[in-house]
Amino acid sequence: MRRLELTINSARRVVDAAPGDTLLEVLRREGYVGVKKGCGSGDCGACTVLLDGRAVNACLVLAAKAEKRAILTIEGLAGGDGLHPIQEAFLDEGAVQCGYCTPGMVLSAYDLLSRSPAPNEGEIREAISGNLCRCTGYVKQIRAIRAAAERMRSGRNE
Amino acid sequence: MGLHNIQSIARPTTADEAWRLRTADPEATRFLGGGIDLILYTPETVTTLIDVSRLGHAGVTAGRNALAIGAGTTLSAILEAPEILSYTNGFLGDVLRHVASPLQRNVATIGGAVARAHPWSDVVLALLVLDAVVEVFDGAARSIAVVDFYASRSQSVAPLVTGIRLPMRMPSARGAFEKFARTGFDVGLLNCACVVELAKGVCRGVRIAAGGTPSLARRLPEAEEFLEGNRLSSETIGSTAKLAARGVNARDDRRASGSYRRTLTEVGVRRCLERLADGGAEGTR
Repeated sequence: MRRLELTINSARRVVDAAPGDTLLEVLRREGYVGVKKGCGSGDCGACTVLLDGRAVNACLVLAAKAEKRAILTIEGLAGGDGLHPIQEAFLDEGAVQCGYCTPGMVLSAYDLLSRSPAPNEGEIREAISGNLCRCTGYVKQIRAIRAAAERMRSGRNE
Repeated sequence: MGLHNIQSIARPTTADEAWRLRTADPEATRFLGGGIDLILYTPETVTTLIDVSRLGHAGVTAGRNALAIGAGTTLSAILEAPEILSYTNGFLGDVLRHVASPLQRNVATIGGAVARAHPWSDVVLALLVLDAVVEVFDGAARSIAVVDFYASRSQSVAPLVTGIRLPMRMPSARGAFEKFARTGFDVGLLNCACVVELAKGVCRGVRIAAGGTPSLARRLPEAEEFLEGNRLSSETIGSTAKLAARGVNARDDRRASGSYRRTLTEVGVRRCLERLADGGAEGTR
């Protein structure tokens, strides 16, 4: 085991990890269970986190590669007791069913809206193309991301 | 999941140091770029990873004669670079948008894609039709045409890829890409791409290639030679597509039969050329 210094949700954490541990394994071991373990091979996107602001599959990143970089999990998105506008929009639009894909889907949406505040439907579909949902047909998630974009632009929930 | 035989990660700061570590024990070491392929496919004999992210090979730079892309540049960073958006009428960006998912493109590096060279690789296909040059280090820094890079891969330890150079093309150069896959980021049944420079409507510098055949992408010289100096018309497009299908090294595997792949090659090349004739570069999944 080796000591790793990670910055998770703006907080510095020192964790023990084997050199071959993935970021998913380390984050879940440290209690960030909003990072879901799905396929373990980058196909489902349930383990999505942000690394330096970009959405990645935590199962396909070695924890050692995340040192000195900013990790954001769903637990750190709202930054307080409330919800982030994307989370609120997912609730309001009924975009959550079993919820397993939701953290990853929300974080992929966050990555998109950080770079493209007014995405069209094609861009939204592309942004969440690595996040599989087995409950829905994606319609409500797309609607939610559009609604979140509007809210974030107007700053109503900021 | 994970790499549980890994005992250490070395972090060299020079290519020379990285190469010495790699060649000192080829069975037990691998270069670590983005790391996706290592997590998915590393043999159990590997105990040390050599992280090459500190070698300073990242970023896209436009020079007078070529675009230089550092091996450590992620596919997303390349896709979003302004130099790439305008290069060959946006062709490379169009290809990269069809590689895996955004989640993987935010991690995967161009150096890793070139070094790993999956037979279905859209990246290798694109580099072939763009006449890319691969910058490598294997004790000394060398430049090697991408086509020769794959033809000469007999070394026991493949060279360290340090960068890619894309030669500047005529402003009239444009490319088109076609990928046949069941879903957006499924492995393709076949992919193909065409690049041409149109000089007063006449095709010059024609490059046509197909990949995932199921072998690694290769150029299709008979089709290229036929189209060179010709105009894009329905007749020349149809004939070029037929020559491409005849020349492709299509074989059966669990995903598709060789004869189906041959048909896909004809359809794909025809679609690419029709799109070029219409002046567009947008591909399909």
